[in-house]
Amino acid sequence: MTVVRRISGQPETLAIFCTVLVLLGSLAGYVLTRPANPGRPPLLGWQVGSFDGLGPADQAIHGALLSAAEEITWFNNDTGGWITLEEAERMRLPPFYHDVFWKTNGEVRWQLILPGAHHGTPATASPNAVFEGTKGQGATVYYGSAGRARAQGAYLLVIGHAHAGAMWTNQATIWIHRDAHAPYPDIVKAEALVGQGWRQVIAYNGASEVERLKGTP
Amino acid sequence: MIEGMNGISPGRRRLAIFLMLLGSGAAGQAAAPKRLKVGVTLHPYYSFVANIVRERADVVPLIAGDANPHNYQPQTEDIKRAMTLDALVVNGIGHDEWAFEIVKAAGRKGTLPLIYANASVALIPIGGDQGGAKVVNPHTFVSTTAAIQQVFEITHRLGAIDPDNAAAYRANAAAYTARLRALRAEFMVRFANLDLSSFRCATMHAGYDYLMQEFGLSVTAVIEPRHGVTPTARQLANTIDVIKKANIRVLFTEKYFALGLGKAIEQATGVKVYALSHITDGPYTADRFEVEMRENLNTLATAIESTRP
Repeated sequence: MTVVRRISGQPETLAIFCTVLVLLGSLAGYVLTRPANPGRPPLLGWQVGSFDGLGPADQAIHGALLSAAEEITWFNNDTGGWITLEEAERMRLPPFYHDVFWKTNGEVRWQLILPGAHHGTPATASPNAVFEGTKGQGATVYYGSAGRARAQGAYLLVIGHAHAGAMWTNQATIWIHRDAHAPYPDIVKAEALVGQGWRQVIAYNGASEVERLKGTP
Repeated sequence: MIEGMNGISPGRRRLAIFLMLLGSGAAGQAAAPKRLKVGVTLHPYYSFVANIVRERADVVPLIAGDANPHNYQPQTEDIKRAMTLDALVVNGIGHDEWAFEIVKAAGRKGTLPLIYANASVALIPIGGDQGGAKVVNPHTFVSTTAAIQQVFEITHRLGAIDPDNAAAYRANAAAYTARLRALRAEFMVRFANLDLSSFRCATMHAGYDYLMQEFGLSVTAVIEPRHGVTPTARQLANTIDVIKKANIRVLFTEKYFALGLGKAIEQATGVKVYALSHITDGPYTADRFEVEMRENLNTLATAIESTRP
């Protein structure tokens, strides 16, 4: 006599249970080990945000310096030289160009400090002299001081050094000092600047806003 | 005589030569650099890209020129257009959110390179009282300095996508930005003779902080409580109060918006009303940005001149 055993379904139940267990385990593992969205790093004590950390004049000059830095970098990549203040005037390049923007934003006095020189370039410096200066090592700095707008600071546009003939310049940082008459710092490396009260301006730009809105840079 | 063809019948030889020529033609076509189709979401970006690429690429507006980008609903034609693009230039910070819906609907999310024009532009808050909050102003394209920064950004990104033309794009961008600076300088001379220190203005739309920043000016009050939102009666009454107390003498309305509200405020406060454009309507042309910015700068100068004692 043949005995037909009742189908219990136990193996299938067990298989489903195990599958669910594995899925839950995998999910828990992913949640626990996934890289956290780092977001934008918080500003450090020696940094200041451009969006809510600067007054109107500082904000306007910072925006203009960002754009100018791009043009200065292109010019350097093309010619090996730097845009002198005379050339900036000819090119109508803010914030150096003496126009209404310059006037209403404190009439800041700008100086160009060439690599290796680290002293103010005479206003009469010839393009050749400027070009010669770029052959040295060190950063190129546009230093702005003595602004007369309310609550205005002093500024540094520091363009990273390039090894002549071997590298190109592609990094610029902007620094601000609460005192509009802060003297030019002898050393423009970050540690030295921080020690003398300069703060790096961190731009809150479109990329930052897109990251805030959409979670991706 | 082509080597290796001896012993082949003349008919087959002709066929072989025809096929070889056809093949070489196809190879030649394949070697020709691809002409980019660059999409844009807003009128200023059309002008920027058209001046950067000139004859080396096609510029494709994503939506019709007379569509209102503030409350746009994507259309089927937009989606079809998005399918054909090689890159898309976007504002991405509040002025063209519909573009992302179009890209998604076109199945191009993740495959269509997006160029965020503002990526390297330092943003500033909307002027006036925003209830104590600092709200990002997305109208970076209504200015010259921030526009120039966007031209640089777009040029960088297009150069990376199309390296064969990168040098040409850069040269074109340099010429274009020099022209924008010349436009700015032209008005700076006119503004130089004006007293800006006591100038106070209100704007209907929060679109002009970057433009005002160019001249060291700021916006004292904004009528719209939020981008594209009409104020309630109470909000309007509060703003009218601010206009009176702050001695605001000029209200800038929108060239492409209805003037009804502006007229009401003019009657209630005595401000003079002028219309500015934030360049988001009409035909797409390469010179559109320059034409409208010239009008804006002219309007601004006229408005300031009108407040002289």
